[in-house]
Amino acid sequence: MTPRFDDIQVGDAIPPYTSLPITRTQLVRYAGASGDFNPLHHDETFARAIGLETVIAHGMFIMGIAGEAVTAWIDNKCLRRFSTHFLSMTQPVDLHDVEKTQARATITVTGKVVAKYEENGEKRIRCEILAQDGQGSRKLTGFFVAALP
Amino acid sequence: MADKSKLGFEFPPYSIRVEQNKIAEFAAAVAQKDDTDSIREIYRDVEAAKAAGFENIPVPPTFPTSFVFWTGGGLLGTVKGVGADVSKLLHSEEDYEFFAPICAGDVITRNMKVVDMYDRGRKERKGWFVQVTVLETEITNQRGELVMRARTTFMERE
Repeated sequence: MTPRFDDIQVGDAIPPYTSLPITRTQLVRYAGASGDFNPLHHDETFARAIGLETVIAHGMFIMGIAGEAVTAWIDNKCLRRFSTHFLSMTQPVDLHDVEKTQARATITVTGKVVAKYEENGEKRIRCEILAQDGQGSRKLTGFFVAALP
Repeated sequence: MADKSKLGFEFPPYSIRVEQNKIAEFAAAVAQKDDTDSIREIYRDVEAAKAAGFENIPVPPTFPTSFVFWTGGGLLGTVKGVGADVSKLLHSEEDYEFFAPICAGDVITRNMKVVDMYDRGRKERKGWFVQVTVLETEITNQRGELVMRARTTFMERE
């Protein structure tokens, strides 16, 4: 249930959302679903050729996870704006060394309400969001605007 | 490096029917699900979508990224279209404005153009110089309504 405008205060936290550890298989699934077949996200040989240790997640996959976090709290239909800056690369979990690598591949999205206002005849909130991995490395920051009942 | 003569370049318009299964596959991908049975109801059940106020199954917020790469040589062709080198490219920002829902069955048309190209940093400082390209994409539906606008910023390292 989308929260009601009158029940929201500036400074309220949005419910945190934590992803599963991102696997290479999920990167392939995301590539197929989105059409973003940049080899950087699935081809280890390409990643190494351009100087990376391994493949990295699509920035848009991390934004997609952030979108899940946002729409777990407010209805998809209420969203008016969704904007992110990508800050760092995300390496997937290594399945032969899950224990050491799952934190870098697990994304937690947090955020808080920073403004309440009326615009276009709607009651809107603006929330800042942050996605970071289990080691505290910041993956993206951004904001969304939602119209609430 | 990015070809600055491409500032103002408009990619050929592209139309696509928004398919229900495609929505489900995308929803499964971003929710890290192994099947489409376990995604949220509004992304797989028309009645649930209608109960939530949509005309049909809606798309997840970042789904419109999937309107970009299925044409014009895919991602690599699109990147080459602005003269950039994919091996030096970083996606730095994505900004969506939503004006109306996009739902299964809609036929959307995507108009994408290069709206900004500029340098950032100083060439003489290695690793501190990037070329920035900004694409703006407007998406209209079969009724001619503007349903969303996306601004995509990427940086190309030297």
